[in-house]
Amino acid sequence: MSNIGDLQSFANSITAVTSPLRGYLNELHQKYSSLNDGTVADYIPELALAKPEWFGVCVVTTDGQIFEAGDCDQLFTIQSISKAFVFGLALEDHGREYVNSKVSVEPTGEAFNSIVLDEATNRPYNPMVNAGAIATADLIKGENGTERLKRLLEMFKRYTGRDHDINVPVFLSEKATGYRNRAMAYLMLNFGMVSDKIDETLDLYFQQCSILVNAKDLAMLSATLANGGINPVTQERAIAEQYVQDVISVMLTCGMYDASGEWTYRVGLPAKSGVGGGITAVAPGKLGIGTFSPLLDAKGNSARGIKVCEDLSRDFGLHLFNVAKPERVLADWISGGNGVDDW
Amino acid sequence: MPKVVSIHSYRGGTGKSNFTANLATTIALQGKRVGVVDTDVPSPGIHNLFCLEPEQTHKTLNNYLWGESSIAETAYDVSANVGVEGTGKLFLVPSSVKADDIARILKDSYDVKLMHDGFRNLVKTLQLDYLFIDTHPGLSKETFLSIAISHVLILILRPDKQDYQGTAVTMDVARQLNVRKMLLAINKVHSKLNLDALKQKVEEAYGETVAGVFPLSEDMVQLASEGVFCVKYPDHSLSQEFRKVAQQIVEV
Repeated sequence: MSNIGDLQSFANSITAVTSPLRGYLNELHQKYSSLNDGTVADYIPELALAKPEWFGVCVVTTDGQIFEAGDCDQLFTIQSISKAFVFGLALEDHGREYVNSKVSVEPTGEAFNSIVLDEATNRPYNPMVNAGAIATADLIKGENGTERLKRLLEMFKRYTGRDHDINVPVFLSEKATGYRNRAMAYLMLNFGMVSDKIDETLDLYFQQCSILVNAKDLAMLSATLANGGINPVTQERAIAEQYVQDVISVMLTCGMYDASGEWTYRVGLPAKSGVGGGITAVAPGKLGIGTFSPLLDAKGNSARGIKVCEDLSRDFGLHLFNVAKPERVLADWISGGNGVDDW
Repeated sequence: MPKVVSIHSYRGGTGKSNFTANLATTIALQGKRVGVVDTDVPSPGIHNLFCLEPEQTHKTLNNYLWGESSIAETAYDVSANVGVEGTGKLFLVPSSVKADDIARILKDSYDVKLMHDGFRNLVKTLQLDYLFIDTHPGLSKETFLSIAISHVLILILRPDKQDYQGTAVTMDVARQLNVRKMLLAINKVHSKLNLDALKQKVEEAYGETVAGVFPLSEDMVQLASEGVFCVKYPDHSLSQEFRKVAQQIVEV
């Protein structure tokens, strides 16, 4: 498929402004702006610079419409959200069986930074905990560190449709203080689960976490997954279709750290959060949600982001296992049709 | 439910502002609460018809778009200026005629989301039954926005080749924006032309209803935008034609 024409693209940007769905998102944004639960991550000084009031909500549909409310252009570091997408690239590089031989796909119920490996197989539990993400980063192909990083950045560009940079101070801080991650890497090396280019792989892991994104990028990432791996705006393929289900099923079971069970029950959307304050959530075949608010709850998930996703899932019946008639019909709220018009 | 009516033409000088003022006043005279927004930021002018002088308008749409005031603060009650009484109300949100202000908005542009949210806010705050949007000729982001939100889009054209071609372009855009209802109005028609035949020809060419046909009028020229025609000459055939178009808007 080719890029959509300029008239359609500009018309889409205007109808996204006038759509009742944007009005709905604005109200959600207003509703949770006053929610000040949680704290900004401060384990490295750069993250503590985030302003608690930053708050953006973006929805991108699989037909390429973009709906924004709040600070959707504010950049922040992607952090753990990168893990889901790097997992996808590892699958493309090596295939399902090989990747699974290095990293399991079991939820842990442990914190994201726990040093736990599967006792029988020595594999880290899943690609969303730090140990599993490091083992996954180790699988990314490339002649050297630069080439591997370039491949990651190119992959993110395919998903979001724009170039991404690394926040260098965040990368250097993570690298300088990431003793725990370094320890995990060596533990896995001891068991032969990762290659011996430990420093290069850890650099790559710290770099992938320091990629700068905004709420719109997060919505575009998940909308691309929701659209079978094709960016709904640029129409470029970001990941082989066959691996989309691998990525989103691991997001569902492990994406929200040790709150994944509660999340699946309440929201029911495959999602991934990061300590930068982002959440990306996939409604397969329908849309992607991106939220950004740096106030984190005790489990490291964005407090406002969780609320926004809960409301969206409930109001539009987006929960994967929802069989009841939703309160609002998504298509009508996008188009303003069928009497949905909040004038 | 409140209705949004956008008045547009591809080319300039078709009589948009006159048309907007007359339709809005006709409906307000029927006891409705009507708002008019002049989104023609590069060349505002409709305030003249409502006898609102620039010295009286300390806040304009420009100030709202720069985040300096609420949209309600930029709305002026002009009911008395056009003889609207009783339950009927007529409000105008003017754009600034100061050259500095026009230059600033052209230079820095503005957030189209803010314009949209302002429309909605205005309708809610002033409890409007109708919101009329007067636009700048041609296509721009405010044109796209006003077309996308309107319940009724009125395209004005003169019987002129440039207008015919431009109207076709605007209709393509309107359809791309899923416009709900489109009406055509033919203005400044030469007195020797057969009005019914012209109406039929235009309807066939565009596949949309022609809501009214307005002959070129010396009386309108003579009024020279100092007041609303249908108030000054309520029994004139043009005023009757405006009432006919207003009726079609009310029935949508």
